[in-house]
Amino acid sequence: MTISSAPDQALVLAAIEQVWGSMLFATAEAWPSDRAADFETGVQAQIELHGDWNGRLVLTCDSDVATQIAGAMLGLGPDEELPELDIHDAVGEVLNVVGGSVKGALVGTWALGLPGVSETSGAPSRDESFVVSWGDAPVYVQILPDAA
Amino acid sequence: MKILIADDSKVMRQIVLRTMRQAGFGHHDFVEAADGAEALDKVAAEAPDLVLSDWNMPNKTGIELLRALRGSGNAVPFGFVTSEGSEDMRATAATAGAMFLIAKPFTAEHFESALSEMLG
Repeated sequence: MTISSAPDQALVLAAIEQVWGSMLFATAEAWPSDRAADFETGVQAQIELHGDWNGRLVLTCDSDVATQIAGAMLGLGPDEELPELDIHDAVGEVLNVVGGSVKGALVGTWALGLPGVSETSGAPSRDESFVVSWGDAPVYVQILPDAA
Repeated sequence: MKILIADDSKVMRQIVLRTMRQAGFGHHDFVEAADGAEALDKVAAEAPDLVLSDWNMPNKTGIELLRALRGSGNAVPFGFVTSEGSEDMRATAATAGAMFLIAKPFTAEHFESALSEMLG
């Protein structure tokens, strides 16, 4: 059902909750605002969305969280290792599915880009993000409009 | 039967393959392609009986792949497995000649429902 003309936190969070539950068999909860959510080395996935609003959705998490997400997607045991490329692939695909769900709920004509994944050396600003949980770890979610 | 799985995500190709096995279709032969252009080449080289394709891929999207196949007279059964499952997408897929569109995230039941008649 189309419910919005631009992506907002509620829509993106709903998509994340669906993906966490159905693809990753986990629960996404809001990260307490008074709880620290820092990390040093992480993985960041971005995907562009173009239509009446133009920008990108960004997912950033700790490297260990990225590894766990990839393992959950593939149904791996705790001792099974994945190459970094596959971990990045998995996080990108998670964002791809989130993006597809968001796009499907938007009114109008929209285009979804291909996910891009890179390493990052810290968490984004909490002022520009909302944070959800992956187990006991934070995952940052950003809805970033293109510069006017 | 031989089934081609086309998706730019290696992880998603593995998940599609795993889900096909869960749906009871693991006894078929599977080949893979990492983008639409490679998929077009693989269709010519491998002559699969079914193509399962992502929509958004580099080097030729899934819809471009399907239109290229139909445009050249290739009627290979084709289904989309994609993150976007809107009514518009499904209509576009059907118009281009796709048998079905399975939206991610999917379950084995989605594949069973779409393919049991064809694959048994």
